[in-house]
Amino acid sequence: MDVVAEDKNLSRLTNPGPDDQLRAILKGSSFDDYNSPLFIAWQLNSACNLGCLHCCEEAGHSMPDEMTKEQALDFCEQIAELNIPYMAISGGEPLLCPHFFDVCESIRSHNISLKIETNGEFIDEKTALKLTDLKLRSVQISLDGATAETHERLRVEGDWDKAIQACKYLVKNGGNTEIVFVPTKFNIHEVGDVIDLAYSLGSYGVYTGKIMRIGRAAKNWDILSPSAEEYEKFFDVLKEKTAAYEGKMKVYYYPYDVIEELKYRLECPSASLLVVPNGKVKLIGPLPFICGDLKKESLSQIWGNYKKAWQNPEVIEFTKKVIAEPKLLAESNNWRQI
Amino acid sequence: MNFTEHTKIREEKFGTVVFDTLTEKIFITDQIGGDILRLIEQGKDLPVILSVLHDNYDGDEQNVEKDVVEFIDQLKSSNIVSV
Repeated sequence: MDVVAEDKNLSRLTNPGPDDQLRAILKGSSFDDYNSPLFIAWQLNSACNLGCLHCCEEAGHSMPDEMTKEQALDFCEQIAELNIPYMAISGGEPLLCPHFFDVCESIRSHNISLKIETNGEFIDEKTALKLTDLKLRSVQISLDGATAETHERLRVEGDWDKAIQACKYLVKNGGNTEIVFVPTKFNIHEVGDVIDLAYSLGSYGVYTGKIMRIGRAAKNWDILSPSAEEYEKFFDVLKEKTAAYEGKMKVYYYPYDVIEELKYRLECPSASLLVVPNGKVKLIGPLPFICGDLKKESLSQIWGNYKKAWQNPEVIEFTKKVIAEPKLLAESNNWRQI
Repeated sequence: MNFTEHTKIREEKFGTVVFDTLTEKIFITDQIGGDILRLIEQGKDLPVILSVLHDNYDGDEQNVEKDVVEFIDQLKSSNIVSV
């Protein structure tokens, strides 16, 4: 065999979403070809100290049937066996889960990249040190305002000062810290200031994009959803800040909404799974479909279920209905087994 | 030459997937690219990589070297490997 340079070119394969360039690259390849997922998003628990108006998971209280520590650790072993390279742990508020650190340690012991998504309110100096010792890919902290007033209006019972302090502790200990900002009518005007604040805190990056019409956000849609004009200004600020911080701090933003994402995923499902606190596995966040149960099936079996589920006429029909009638996104947490 | 801290590779039937989990970008290479990546993973340097490829694949030595250097430059510019 000859060494042919053009065959060795690196090509972007699946990230980040529905753009034309990506479609061209993906032509002829499929998520079906993957032996196992490339990414797992794991909502470890449902308990949360906050009552955010835009919470996708509608978190608050624990579910009665959440996975036990043993079940969670068994799942970690399966993730390692299937050579899954990357995962994210969120909640609820994951630091409220009693076996949070056991799970993180297990994942990291297998050298799997791990991102934690948290409100930051339980990260004191000692916890920050424990987190940075795990050499995580990153800790993402939600900051929905450049001021306490704005942040706490959206994140009910939230404490902006604690979130800021968490960032400082993590950065001080050398942890890779990212800020997540969800735009709503209440806070969209502060995005530029949040990015500046993130930089002043020493963050690695800022993540944002359109608010997802899922869970509590779907229920509060009329009071939360920014207008087209507000989004136009928002993306202008993002473009400006991305250029301003180039080489200093990453500013990531995803320009598509959930409906655009669903249209794309019908054609090109991602090589990823979403695990909810009781071990059920969702097809994708915005849809209510459950394709497996980690308490009853192996991760490998569920990956097979997931591949078949995207061909299921019920899934295809419902997804098309949601695309035509976005109000149906409010059903995303009324899980249905398929 | 090493992979950057958050880079992972995985073999699939269609090639080798390179996942930069920090930027969340995914790349794919063919079999030869995969061989090079596995040698980098084992900590091999350029002369060893060239020698192994020369033993395993047909092709003019100079062209092989040119292609491998070009490929490694791509890996470096994509922050997949660091020197």
